[in-house]
Amino acid sequence: PSLPAGWTAEKDFKSVGSLSAATQRNLEPVGPHFLAHARRSRHSRTFSEDERI
Amino acid sequence: MSSETNGAAERFAIGISFGNSSSSIARLNPEGKAEVIANEEGDRQIPSVLAYIDGEEYHGTQAKAQLIRNSKNTVAYFRDYLGKDFKSIDPTPCHNSAHPQQNDSTVAFSICDTANETPNTVTVSEITTRHLRRLKQSASDYLGKEVNAAVITVPTDFKDSQREALIASANAAGLEVLQLIHEPVAAVLAYDARPEAVVTDKLVVVADLGGTRSDASVVSCRGGMYSILATAHDYELGGATLDKIIIDHFGKEFQKKHKTDPREDVRGLAKLKLEGEATRKALSLGTNASLSIESLANGIDYGSTVNRTRYELLSGKVFAQFTGLIEQVVKKAGLDVLDIDEVILAGGTSHTPKIAQLTANIFPETTKVLAPATFIGAINPSELAPRGAAIQASLIQEFDKEDIEQSIHPMVTATPHLQNAIGVEFTSGETVDFKALLNTETALPARRLVQFAVPKEGGDVFIRVCEGVREIKVTKPEPKAKEEKPAKTEEDEEDSDFDSDDEEEEETREIIWKTEKPIAELAVKGTKAGSKVELMIHVNADLGLQITAKEVGGQSAVRGAVEAPKA
Repeated sequence: PSLPAGWTAEKDFKSVGSLSAATQRNLEPVGPHFLAHARRSRHSRTFSEDERI
Repeated sequence: MSSETNGAAERFAIGISFGNSSSSIARLNPEGKAEVIANEEGDRQIPSVLAYIDGEEYHGTQAKAQLIRNSKNTVAYFRDYLGKDFKSIDPTPCHNSAHPQQNDSTVAFSICDTANETPNTVTVSEITTRHLRRLKQSASDYLGKEVNAAVITVPTDFKDSQREALIASANAAGLEVLQLIHEPVAAVLAYDARPEAVVTDKLVVVADLGGTRSDASVVSCRGGMYSILATAHDYELGGATLDKIIIDHFGKEFQKKHKTDPREDVRGLAKLKLEGEATRKALSLGTNASLSIESLANGIDYGSTVNRTRYELLSGKVFAQFTGLIEQVVKKAGLDVLDIDEVILAGGTSHTPKIAQLTANIFPETTKVLAPATFIGAINPSELAPRGAAIQASLIQEFDKEDIEQSIHPMVTATPHLQNAIGVEFTSGETVDFKALLNTETALPARRLVQFAVPKEGGDVFIRVCEGVREIKVTKPEPKAKEEKPAKTEEDEEDSDFDSDDEEEEETREIIWKTEKPIAELAVKGTKAGSKVELMIHVNADLGLQITAKEVGGQSAVRGAVEAPKA
């Protein structure tokens, strides 16, 4: 989509809302992707930090 | 328990599926593929049965054969009694074998398991230990190496007391339980771990159709992580229900010819059960199956055949119960059949071709039904759980015990999941289209990256990140169903654009996305004609977002953060 005329924002970014509440659920502790998630959350790393290691 | 689990001793782990009717053992072969191990009798589905004659222990198929002559000293269908109170169990499946009895608060069997004539009271925990020990032995013999650890699959409704009892029994059998995993998730993992599988966001229904019970669950797969959204159970429905149809069919035929009902004779019924099950299984592979039993009743031999059409006709009602369970679980999850991307049929009864066909009829054509009858690349339904367990076992067998415990701790597993989908709104002329990027029920934190084409002439690009809600649109047939073409996107993560043309149905139903709430607006300026814009959205566990957009190959990126909602 192209830019509507007259749209401006600081640094071209405008926050206009926030997410609605999340639901708490249990993840199944299974599979390689979960283990990666567990590793991140235990060491409180972010995605990019985790990739660097 | 305090044996050799100090990390120093080498671990050798396998996957075990432990069922009421049968159990399987599996490992990851050196090529990295999961493989189910056959026991010394050549069985991959090893009946969960133990029998004793003159102090000698029989296991698996050999023990199952004892149900005819030695039923009092044969123990079967005991998995669901483990860790349970005697009052809460259903002893029905054990009518033809050793009966469960009360022993303090737990369940036990009175069997002659020594050469002695007097029966011993053996608890269900001890029976489980003996069963697991035999499974461990079979795996060790095959692999030529002592197996000392395992990942075991359990149903989703297994209570903590049952889990603890199972772990204790396994430890007593010399097996360190690395983890207990849920059967449906093991089935999904068995499919997702195939090299040709790609990690996608999808909703999967796993229908585990077993021998004496059937379970169905809805599993959401988001970025390779699984959450169970709903489960449904039927403790009376399974292969045994279908066996009964075969038994009744042949029983009546015998009665007509010979004026005696073999079903009234204990031994005759046991014989019919054993052979009837084999006949039913043969009907899953061929269109004709025979049954022959020596001395069925009154010393009369019996032989007959049945074809698949006849069998399917007789079983229509039971088949409808299976599909009903699947419909029930979809409803329980608050979903529509249109939402389901895959149906995995697991468990021995899933070999039945008609069940797979009927299941496929419930769902739209875009839904894949993974069963041998409907999908060429399907994995043997009986092997899904053990394979999944073997894959998980290979993933965690190097870990320290502490590491595993910490990883599966509720602190880690209890995570917020997105309530609504997050995506990008596309406005082209009049129509507003929504492309989901992060789907509902995605576990947080999460991030996604997409690329989409800029308008033909290039220029400034405007991106509007929104929350979206899916709705089911019902269109009456007269004005030809409106076609909704997705905007020019490259990454089609959603199958939201199908028009199911059901002849019988009066209306077509389809999924449409509604944008609910704008989150952020971005502009990428001065893009070249024909290039692409890359958008990355990162959602934190506290529901804050980071959004980055840039032209592919470009230098400067537009980035920004959206704050978490105030509580």
